[in-house]
Amino acid sequence: MTTHTDPPDTARDHGDDEHLPCGRLLSQVWDDWERGTADPHRAGCPHCRGAVSDLDALETAVRGLREETPGPRGHDAEPLARRVMDLVRLELRPGRPLPLGEPAEDLWITETVAARALRAAAETVDGVRAGSCRLTPAEAPENAPKDSGVGIRLDIHAPPGAVLPLLAERVRQRVRETADRELGMPTAAVDIRVTDLVDDTPADDQEGRIP
Amino acid sequence: MTAHGTQTTHTAPAGLAEEVARVVSAVPGVAFLKPGLAARLRSPWSCPAPGRPSTAGVRLTPFPGPGPEGEGGGWQVDVQVVALRRARTVEVARAARAAVQGHLAEVLPGRPPARVTVTVTGLV
Repeated sequence: MTTHTDPPDTARDHGDDEHLPCGRLLSQVWDDWERGTADPHRAGCPHCRGAVSDLDALETAVRGLREETPGPRGHDAEPLARRVMDLVRLELRPGRPLPLGEPAEDLWITETVAARALRAAAETVDGVRAGSCRLTPAEAPENAPKDSGVGIRLDIHAPPGAVLPLLAERVRQRVRETADRELGMPTAAVDIRVTDLVDDTPADDQEGRIP
Repeated sequence: MTAHGTQTTHTAPAGLAEEVARVVSAVPGVAFLKPGLAARLRSPWSCPAPGRPSTAGVRLTPFPGPGPEGEGGGWQVDVQVVALRRARTVEVARAARAAVQGHLAEVLPGRPPARVTVTVTGLV
């Protein structure tokens, strides 16, 4: 078994991203097209146009599926299309691999998947909404294993009136528990940053409350 | 596939990736191999035949052995899986690695132990 100081390049290694014959990356061409970035090359290049056409065909197919199988209220198409396209994007841009288990085990989890689990853990605390979750492999001293833990920085919205230090500590604890018990991902520092106070209690539940 | 030695030494036996895919898919806690949606989108002909597992989440690469031309080498196996949320992710990854190592030791006796990298690319 070897130490894994070189994480696998998940998307490219497994052939899900590729250089088109014109030299452009497929993921970049798709990204530029979705963002509406002006690109004279794309307009004239048959390879880029073909790649964009493929993505367009997928989106059309997904929307068609919605029309054929309307939801109970008939307006669920956009969420479905968004979920499918999110899946495609996730596959092309899964984020960097982060270590699982002990150093040198050569087991990994992609950043996007780990962040999603940790955000969900934070939201198990009443009134908390999770925002950006940044995960970074801990900086280790020279000659030390590079994968000794993952640093976590999580932004949250807290409910008004919460005692923020206590709330942050509860969120930190949930995040650590999930990283350890559910994922098995070693953690370093867990920083919780309260970026806003938001009361998202449904209006019906607020009746009778003292303002 | 001959960069590190003779073709006999370093060509993957036919169907080995599919075997690895089957073994990994049977590991408790593995939902499925990374589906490879993007590859399928690019080419509808890349879908596996009915009854044959997709190998989108399996990659085998030879590593050279100690022989003068790399003989006696083994396999580096990279596996990408989607795991079940109810299982502890690292244990699923460990089980997948052990299953691949065990299977390759059985079908390729006398080779160095396979180096197996497992990446969890999704939780369901």
